[in-house]
Amino acid sequence: MSDATLTLTPLETAIQPRAEVDGHDPSMLISMRNIWKTYQMGTESVHALHGVSFDIPRGEYIAIIGPSGSGKSTLMNLIGCLDTPSQGEYWLNGKNVSEMDDDELARIRNQEVGFVFQTFNLLARATALHNVELPLIYGGVGSSQRHEMAKKALHAVDLTERMMHKPNELSGGQRQRVAIARALVNHPSILLADEPTGALDSHTSMEIMDLFERLHSEGNTIIVVTHEHDIAARAHRVISIRDGLIEKDERIR
Amino acid sequence: MERSGEHDSQPRRYTFARAVLPERITSLPWFRLAAIWEAFRVATASLRANKLRTALTLMGIVVGVTAVIAVVTIIKGLDQTVAQTFSSQGSTVFTISKNPQIIKSREEFIKSNRRKDVTHEDAEVIARLCTACWRVGIAANAIETVKYADQKAENVRIRGIEPITMFDIDGVTINVGRIWTDSEGASGRDICVIGTDMLKNLFNDAPADRAVGQEIRINGRPYLVLGVLEPLGSIFGFSRDNVVYIPYSTYQKAYGGRRSLIVFIQVPSAEQIETAEDQVRTVMRNRRGHATDDDEGFALETQDVFLNLYGSATSNIYIVTIGVAAISLVVGGIVVMNIMLVSVTERTKEIGIRKAIGARRKDILTQFLIEAVTVTAIGGAIGVGTGFGLAYVISALIGFPLLVSVASAVLGVGVSSVVGIVSGLWPAWRAAKLDPIEALRAE
Repeated sequence: MSDATLTLTPLETAIQPRAEVDGHDPSMLISMRNIWKTYQMGTESVHALHGVSFDIPRGEYIAIIGPSGSGKSTLMNLIGCLDTPSQGEYWLNGKNVSEMDDDELARIRNQEVGFVFQTFNLLARATALHNVELPLIYGGVGSSQRHEMAKKALHAVDLTERMMHKPNELSGGQRQRVAIARALVNHPSILLADEPTGALDSHTSMEIMDLFERLHSEGNTIIVVTHEHDIAARAHRVISIRDGLIEKDERIR
Repeated sequence: MERSGEHDSQPRRYTFARAVLPERITSLPWFRLAAIWEAFRVATASLRANKLRTALTLMGIVVGVTAVIAVVTIIKGLDQTVAQTFSSQGSTVFTISKNPQIIKSREEFIKSNRRKDVTHEDAEVIARLCTACWRVGIAANAIETVKYADQKAENVRIRGIEPITMFDIDGVTINVGRIWTDSEGASGRDICVIGTDMLKNLFNDAPADRAVGQEIRINGRPYLVLGVLEPLGSIFGFSRDNVVYIPYSTYQKAYGGRRSLIVFIQVPSAEQIETAEDQVRTVMRNRRGHATDDDEGFALETQDVFLNLYGSATSNIYIVTIGVAAISLVVGGIVVMNIMLVSVTERTKEIGIRKAIGARRKDILTQFLIEAVTVTAIGGAIGVGTGFGLAYVISALIGFPLLVSVASAVLGVGVSSVVGIVSGLWPAWRAAKLDPIEALRAE
């Protein structure tokens, strides 16, 4: 750990919360400490992230922005517990995620993370209701409670009338709202959206962003990963990633 | 970052109110009914969505199970036929003889040849002393050519018996005419009762009453036909009706009294056979006296010896036959594995989605295993039906009884389900260990 700290760039050092460089801040929902991600490409090692550290408190609305190849997707996969860092510590809701095995990660994804994808990623053959129920099924929630929770989540995104429809009977905006309901249904710690408006027209995009804003105002922690500045501008804090490093971390409202 | 606690006043409000989740599951059991049910739903939906593929997969299993079920059913029918045929004398009969009816080794042959002959007197003593015995009779056999007019029948079994209850012990009944009386039997007259093969071979298939009263010749000796027996049928091509019964006294005159004979003992019911065997064995040991350490001096056998011989002779053939049929089941399993691999590749994206929202490896594994087992179990059920159908047709053609057993039906579905698990395991494992990030990227 101390070796890695020595290699920090001046920029990184500036944004490090100095007091807790070596430990996580238990008051924070997300605490990333000197995260490295290295991929082995043949004989060469490619560093997608070079020691990234930041904290996200509960209830924040944050955008992670960066051009393609910046390490933004890698960071998102790490935050969403789809992957583990090569080095460094990641604390999510008081749990050290960086050393978890496959099944533990699956449980964290199920309980702590709600994913919203650019291409919605709904199951085509299942109804909206069943899609929303899916995380609860893997979470081991009984069927009557599951139904109720899924209906509530669909109600929260104004889709109560369409819950028996299949994705191909829904518009793009409606599909994304189903995906958001699915992300929310397990009451996760974070709502993690990857280019949530990338497949939508500008009008629908605004609707979805309004929905995020509302969900944030209701107390949810939202992380939006995007390359679009106007989408990032809706957040309250923007972390800019470039070449595997945090370039800028600013509060914009 | 204000978090209001008053969500309820606004109906659409949706927050991470952890407190409202009554049971936040902290440890999950391995076996979760909801996930299993979900897997079953997904499996049936995917099977329905790909009808042609499902049909082809089913076919692979159906053919395999059909083959196995048909073979097993036919073999059981065969076994049953053999068992019934051999046990027409019933499991209430056993025999005392010099040479065992089935000689398994040269040593046994040499040993039994050194024994004393079993005599008429032995039978009389047994009949007198064995209280558990119901009927005691004697029989001696010879193979002869039988002639009538210009017709002749070869390799006919000539069976000299005494008393007439030996007909009952042998399980044969008279069809036309009559059997001889006790006094006729004792008189040594040249009379006989014939099996139905004699009608065919000597009387040009004439009706049985035409043969009664005729004289047939055995070894140049004329015998008066008193009656014709009910047919017993044949077994493996050996006719059981190629026989002529004559009284033992007549047999003695024709073939001499010095041949060893066979004593037949019948008990009223199968439970008494052991008691009777013990009594007879004691009687015979006393009469043989000199019985050495390694030989009692006589052979005591039940009719089971034939069944045992049949069993040991055919069991290997059966295993090979069933094994050959089972190969088609293996081929069916390979078909399932192939299709499952395609299914996994096709649904990589879906697997990625499921993993992203919290499906663990075992959840994905179970899902694909259940899919494989569902196909093979359905295929197995259909195969059991068609297998019995095929067995019905074949047994109707050959003339065996059809033995439809629940056990083989359960076995058919069970075995095909096992085939499903085995052939589904590798594809399912491949699905389970997919990297969620890469799987999500798939199209």
